[in-house]
This record gives sequence, structure tokens and C-alpha cells, in this order.
Amino acid sequence: MSILETPRILFRGNIAWDPIVTNNNAPAYDEDTAQTLYPDAPTIQAKVAAFRKEAIADVNPNANPPNGPSRVWNPHGTHRSSFYDEAFPDPSAPDSLIVDSCISGVDTGGGPDARDPFVGSPARFTGMLVDLEPYGSYSSQLFFDTISFGIDGGCRIVAPRNSRVNDRYINLGRNPVYYIAGFASVIWQTSFRKDLGLIVDDYDSLALRKLKEALKQDDVLGLTVRWTVYRTVYYDTPALATDVPLQTAVAEQLMAKLESGGFQPNPARSKLVGAIGLWRKGEPEHEPGDRALLATQWPPGQPAVPPCVGTAFARLGEKSVTLDLGNSMPETGLDLTKQDWGDLQVRAVDPADPKRVVAKLGTLTYKDYRREAYEAGSGIVTLAVAAADARAAAKANIQVVQAKTGTVLLDEAPLRAIPLVPNLYLNAGEAATAKLQLYQRGAPAGAGIPITLCQMSADGSTIQGKTQIVTGAGGVASFPIQVGEGEIEAFVPLPGGNPVLPTGGLNTMINTYMYVRILPADAAIGALPPTWDNVYAKVLANWKAMAPCMDNWLDLDDEAQVRAYAPVIKALTDPAAFENYRFMPVTRDMSPGCRALLYNFLDGKKPAAAPAEARPNARLKAKAPKPAASRLAEMSKSMR
Amino acid sequence: MIRLELKPLKTVEDARSMLETAIGLEFGTLPPYLYAMFSIPPGKNVAAANLIKSVLMQEMIHMCLACNIMNALGGTVKLVPPKYPGPLPGDIGPIGKDALVIHLYRLSKEGMKQGMDIEQPETIPNFPVLKAAPGVPATGTIGQFYQRLDDFLATLPPGVWKKGRNQITDNQFFTGQLFAVNDYADAHRAIEEIVSEGEGAKDEPLDFQQELAHYYRFGEVYHDRVLTKIAKPPGYQWGPAKLGVIWKDVFPAIPDPGTHDFSKDSAAARAAQAACNAAYTRMVDALQQAVTGTKGALGNAVRAMFDLRLATQVALRTPLADGVSVAGPAFLYTPIKGGAKA
Repeated sequence: MSILETPRILFRGNIAWDPIVTNNNAPAYDEDTAQTLYPDAPTIQAKVAAFRKEAIADVNPNANPPNGPSRVWNPHGTHRSSFYDEAFPDPSAPDSLIVDSCISGVDTGGGPDARDPFVGSPARFTGMLVDLEPYGSYSSQLFFDTISFGIDGGCRIVAPRNSRVNDRYINLGRNPVYYIAGFASVIWQTSFRKDLGLIVDDYDSLALRKLKEALKQDDVLGLTVRWTVYRTVYYDTPALATDVPLQTAVAEQLMAKLESGGFQPNPARSKLVGAIGLWRKGEPEHEPGDRALLATQWPPGQPAVPPCVGTAFARLGEKSVTLDLGNSMPETGLDLTKQDWGDLQVRAVDPADPKRVVAKLGTLTYKDYRREAYEAGSGIVTLAVAAADARAAAKANIQVVQAKTGTVLLDEAPLRAIPLVPNLYLNAGEAATAKLQLYQRGAPAGAGIPITLCQMSADGSTIQGKTQIVTGAGGVASFPIQVGEGEIEAFVPLPGGNPVLPTGGLNTMINTYMYVRILPADAAIGALPPTWDNVYAKVLANWKAMAPCMDNWLDLDDEAQVRAYAPVIKALTDPAAFENYRFMPVTRDMSPGCRALLYNFLDGKKPAAAPAEARPNARLKAKAPKPAASRLAEMSKSMR
Repeated sequence: MIRLELKPLKTVEDARSMLETAIGLEFGTLPPYLYAMFSIPPGKNVAAANLIKSVLMQEMIHMCLACNIMNALGGTVKLVPPKYPGPLPGDIGPIGKDALVIHLYRLSKEGMKQGMDIEQPETIPNFPVLKAAPGVPATGTIGQFYQRLDDFLATLPPGVWKKGRNQITDNQFFTGQLFAVNDYADAHRAIEEIVSEGEGAKDEPLDFQQELAHYYRFGEVYHDRVLTKIAKPPGYQWGPAKLGVIWKDVFPAIPDPGTHDFSKDSAAARAAQAACNAAYTRMVDALQQAVTGTKGALGNAVRAMFDLRLATQVALRTPLADGVSVAGPAFLYTPIKGGAKA
């Protein structure tokens, strides 16, 4: 099932992250109203200028600690996130010759193999990194158009978007040596329908030929691409993790650049390993749906202290078990040496009596999960299993146990409720029903199983309400989403009628979840006279202040230019283009009222209704601060 | 076969002189490639536009890498904006013939042929639909130009290299491709990257990253065929898949607008040209500052590049006096008295 089935294509490389950070918290941005909160100034132009000045000042780590939740490291972000090639081989890398983002191996059933002609082909991806919930980092997404592996005229996979890439299973315990969010790793996944332009050209690649053949099967919907990012470095300076004076120095250098004018992005960078596999009917599109072996070192509401083992996924075959440890095994530092836990026993235990082992599924030695193996196999490991043991494990809970201590590091949760749409955008007044698919040991569960649904605060720290729903046919359950005027909602579905509740806050290693952003209607804004002053103050100034990258091709405070480019602006802001790489605003926070005002201006129309007073948008009138979040939530903010 | 003036290298000063040529050469490729790319309207000839853009990005990186080597050798980079039509530094051209005269062409067969001429490798594999290259001495390509430089740099003592001097790295732009040159090993890698991406590996159209080298990217547009892997020698052929080039889907941009007399055109056309030249000049000035050690100046150059792109879009939509043609940017360096200079 999924990438844990063969044939499987492996890739690895690097990805750059370049989000803006100016909308990361309440003093600067109201994520409910989707409006910039400006400093006091006499005109909107002056407010924008003052906002930009503050954004630069906030880079200063002395004024704003870099691990605090603030807009500190990239006020000139572009949101672009691209796979890239390293200029220099890392001398410590197991294969220092491969520094590119490229196909690193294939597995047609015999383990990772680097001899296939497809190996070495470039991996190309560029997306726009946008958090549904701007203050936090549980709801990151990559909006993109196409991902490709290989080049035209040769072995290649070209996959046009079916849905955006989503992140899940944020592992805050991955690396103990870090700066900002460098401690974390996270899984990204999306899937591509075979009937939506997916191209697989095999030429002389046996692995691609097998993949192409498998795609013809009726129950194969297309391909799933999953990758894990880790070892994130900021300011392109790994030494920041241990050098506090250097943290100040690089920040001051960035401030100097920003103050010198021009365009000064400051992307962060991560390593990645990934896999491409079959996407079969019933499997989730956007996150792992395989048997979930949950991390045990994560006390509720608290991040584990790295290094610790993160949640993994497993697929049991007739004579094998395949584990996805891509997001699991921690490093000891920036040299990416893997923590040595010694031998790890993989076993299945009686769900009713977890101390009773019903099957031994094999042993992982350090050699199986050390850096060399991790990079060669993207963290996916297959163990041969006796057929009888595999049968016994089919309905038992799989565990991974540290041999020398007997500590259970990973423990299967047999039931997992996964939202069909992980991150949903709605407009105020739109009715919506969300659906969940309940999985039992990696396969769709049946009807009549209760699910406790917790509605969380937007930052995931507190439970605001709970209700119970029940699965219908095929294990699918649904629930209505109540839409307010403008807010962000988070839902955590927990299988069972009396589950352990996330009282300490959403735990990304343990909980599945769904985020919903409800943009305000802003009818009053839509009814304003479509003058330049209004459209700039209520729409364009937001973009100018928040994300100057949107200003790169057009001067947003130049009325003549904006009018001249009306057709282009309308095409880029068209709701039908919402999933596109080049949608505007890149932050996806444009309300219907703001769009109406903009379009009325661009079309030279008068408003449909009489002018109404727009809602206040003064910093002093911002909503009351949210309750203090848990340490986990605070750390999640710092990831931005 | 392309030849490039090769001089004997005996001193560090000789190497700096050669690097000056290299920097000028890389810089000189940017306007013609930009002109061709800008001439493609949004949504048209997408594959061709992407190929040309990918070459452009790498040429910018190559220029910066050459500047890094120059700075590491203690030299001073002086960007000299080329004029079009005109020769590239080093008198690059076919063996036994006059130097190539580089023009600003819109997306066209002649523009792509010019790109292939500039990027031509030492040997051209005889892929079907291409004629065999004539047997000529294997000397004088851009690759050999850099090889000679590399050979000489290898002989220099370590003390020659000035670590961290005015280096441009990829921490903001060109992720993963642009690195500091602090010693010969770095310089060697930079030269390998420049040559490999331009010409490909020897007898192989792919560069060190398994991507098409520049010559073949222009070739795909020129032939309107995807260079395709085949099982028999020579290993590749042009097509049969088409790239999808529609030559008429371009702005009707005149060639070499620097030679055009705009006095008979509308004030809007003249203003558009002036805006292009002003943005280009700001870009060159900021680049000059960047390659001579001014922190943050590369960001200013990129900002000016955005301005140039926008000014170009206006220019390409502003008819000339004939009511049919338009003019892209002439890339005329027009410094303003008192403006920022290096």
C-alpha cells in the first residue's frame, strides 16, 4: 500500500523555504479578519511604510528573540519553496558525489538499488509555502502546478497537481542541535491522479516500466509522493545553532541589507528524503494512511526533548514488513549522524494484552537506520517475516522496541481517523460538511464506530468543544462546519467514544487533525466606492505591507500600473486559480468583499450596494490576546 | 566550431585578464537571452520560455562565479556593459571567420541559432536531424578557454587566494548554485560548473546534474524538437516529440533596438525605452557594487531587474511609428550624473 509497496522510486536532496514572517502573530496581523494591523500613522501610505520599518526592526534578535514567536527572520520572503542542488558535496555525506535533488534509487522488491538508469535524474519542484493558520505551523501547505523527476526526452515522471502538498506529523524532537525550527522534521505528501495528465516515460528504466505497468491496475488511482524534510538551517549558517553572538551578527547583517533597499529574501534550507509509490483506492491523498506506529516519547502537551523517535508507518506483507522511518530516527547533531539506539526489535503484541508478544517481525540494527541507510532508502526499511508471524501480526499491534532496555519506542494505534481534506478554506456564510475516513490497521474501517471530535483553539492548545460522530459505510464519517464571520478552526478526530483527549494541546506526532480557515465576508468593504484610495487602503496596502514579494512585478501603490494590469490581476486573483502556484495574494487571505472592491475598481464599476462603513482595522482595536499557549504551540510558532 | 581568443598564461595578472574576458562574456550573453525571453507573451511558447529562462539563470550564476574567482585572486571586477549589435569579449566566433556579432533578437530561429553558436561544445554529437560538425582543430571553444584558465590556476600557490574577498554566495538567490571561491578547489569546481552547464559533458548533452546543457536547450527550441533518448548510437535524437514552438506567438519586437531611431516614434515609446534603460543602468550599477563587496547590493540589482521586466512589458506593448512593431529593451547603459556608482 502506498509508498510502502513496490515498485517504489526514491529521491533525496534539498529544499529551500522562503515564507514571509510578517503575518506570524497578533501585533502585526489579525488572522481572523485577514487584515494587516498597522502602526499609527497619518495616511495609509505612511502606515505601510511604518509597518515595513517595524518588520525590519523586528529582525533584531536582541529586540525579538529568534526562538520567540515573532516576525524575525524573513520579512522579504517570496513564499517560494524549491528543490535545489547543493553547490558543494558534503564531505561527510555517504555518497558525496550526489549533491543534487535527484532520484537516488529504486526498489522493485529487492531493496534500494542505485543502478537503474533513472537514478541521478533531477527532481524539480517549486511551490508556494502558505500556512492556513498564519500564526502557527501545523497547517503548512505548498501550492504548486507540477512536480517532475527526470527530463523531457528521457526517463521521467511528470505529475500535474491534483491537490496541494500538505504537511503532517511535525516531529519537534528530531535534532538536538538547532536554530529556530532546526530541531524539527516533517512529512509532506500529495497524490497525483493517473487520469489528470500524469506522465511516466520508462525508456530503459526497469523500475519505471514496472511502475507504469502497475498504474494500469484498476484500483490504482495514480501516484503518491511523500517526502520528509529535516535539518533546517537559517541564514545559510549552520553554526547559528551553537553560536549566540553569530545569531546577532547575521541578523544585523540582514537588517543592514533590508535597510539598504532592494529585495532581500532570506530563505531557510532543509534536507529531504522521499519516495514515489502507487496510490490505491481507499488510501489518503495527503498524509500516510498506513499502519501508524505512534511515538511514545511525547508526553501530552509537551514536545519531546530531542533526540527521540518519531511516529512511523508500517505495511505488513505476506512475508515481510516494511517500515517508513523517514520521519522517525533522530540525528545527534548537524553532521546528521543518527542516534544509535542499538538493535530495535519489531514485534506484534496482543491488543488486549500488550505484554503478550504474538509475533516477532525482525530486528533493525543500527546499520539499518544509520545515515547511510537512511539516505539510500529514504528511511524505508523492509524486513523478511515468516508467513505465520505475518498472519499473526495482521490483527495485532506492531511495536518497535529498543532491545537493550525493552523500551517501547513506537506503538501502533489500530484506528486512525484522517480528514479527507486536511486544510479547508471557506468564506463566511458558506455551508460545509467535512468528511473523515477511519482506518483500521491501514485499511478503511467499517460502519458504526464512534469518533470523538474535538474542536481546538486555532493554535491547537486548548479544547473548545467536543462532539461524537459515528462512521457510516466504508468507515466514513462526516460533520458540519459552523462558519463564523472570520476565524480559524482546528479539529482533532479521536477514534472511540472515550479516547484520551488532547488536553495538553494538539500533538502532531499523535493526533490527526484538520484546519479550517473561514475568511470574513467583508461585505462593507465590498460596498465601498471603488476609488483608488479605498482599493489601496482596504486591499493592496495589505499586500504591499505584508508581502513585498508581490510587489516584484508590479508597483502596488501605483494606480496607473494597477489599472494597466487589470486583466492580469483579475486572472491571478480569480477564485478558480486558488490552487495555482501564481495565485494572488499568495497568502490566500483575500475575502469576497475585498475581491469585490478590487474588481469594481478594475472594471470601473460602481458598488452594488450603498457605501457602508468598513470594519475597524486599527492596531489598538485588535482582538484580545489569545490565551497563553502551551510550550508545544509556542515552539510551533517559532518554526516560522 | 566556435573559437575564442586564447592567450598564454604566465602570471596572476594574465589570469585576471582572462577572467575579465570571462566575466564580460558571461555578462554579454544576458541581454540577448533576456531579449528573447521577454519577447514571449505570457502564456505563449511556455516550453521555450522556460528553457531560455533556465539558461539565463545559469548564465547569471556563471558570471557571479567568474567574479568570485577574480575577487579571490585579488582582482577588481569592472562590469563593462556590452553594446548590441557587437562582438562578445574574447572575439568569440567561428574558426577562421570573423568574430560573432551578437544581436538582440526576439524569439526566432536566428536568435536560437545565435544561442547555439555561443554555447557550442567542443564536439557536437551527430544526432539525427543535425549535420555532422566539420573536422576542425579542437581549440578555442568557451570550454577550452576555461580549461586553459583552470590549468593555470592549478599551478598557483595557495597564498595567492584571498579567502572571503568580495564573494557572492547563494544565501539569497540562486539557491545551491553560487558559492564562494576561497582556493583553487573552489575555482576548479566553479569552472567545471560553468563549462558543464554550458556545453554538457564530453560527447554528452547532459551536464553534471543530468540536465540538458545550454547548447541543447537552445537546440530544442531551434529544432522545435525534444532531444530524446534512444537505445542506439549516438544515444539521442531530436524528436519526434515537438517542443511546441510557435514562432509567430511573440511580441513583434524589432532586432537591436539600440540602433533604432526612436525620434520618429511616439512619446510613449520613447518613455518606455528610457524606463528600460534606466532600470538596466540601475541593475548594472547595483551589480557592480555587489561584485565589489557591497553587502545587500545584489538585492538591489534584483529589484532593478524586476523594474526592467516591468518596463519591458510596457515597451513591448507600445507600438512604434509603423503601428505594427514594438521594441524591447535596448540595454543601453545610461548612467545618471550623481547616481550610485561603484
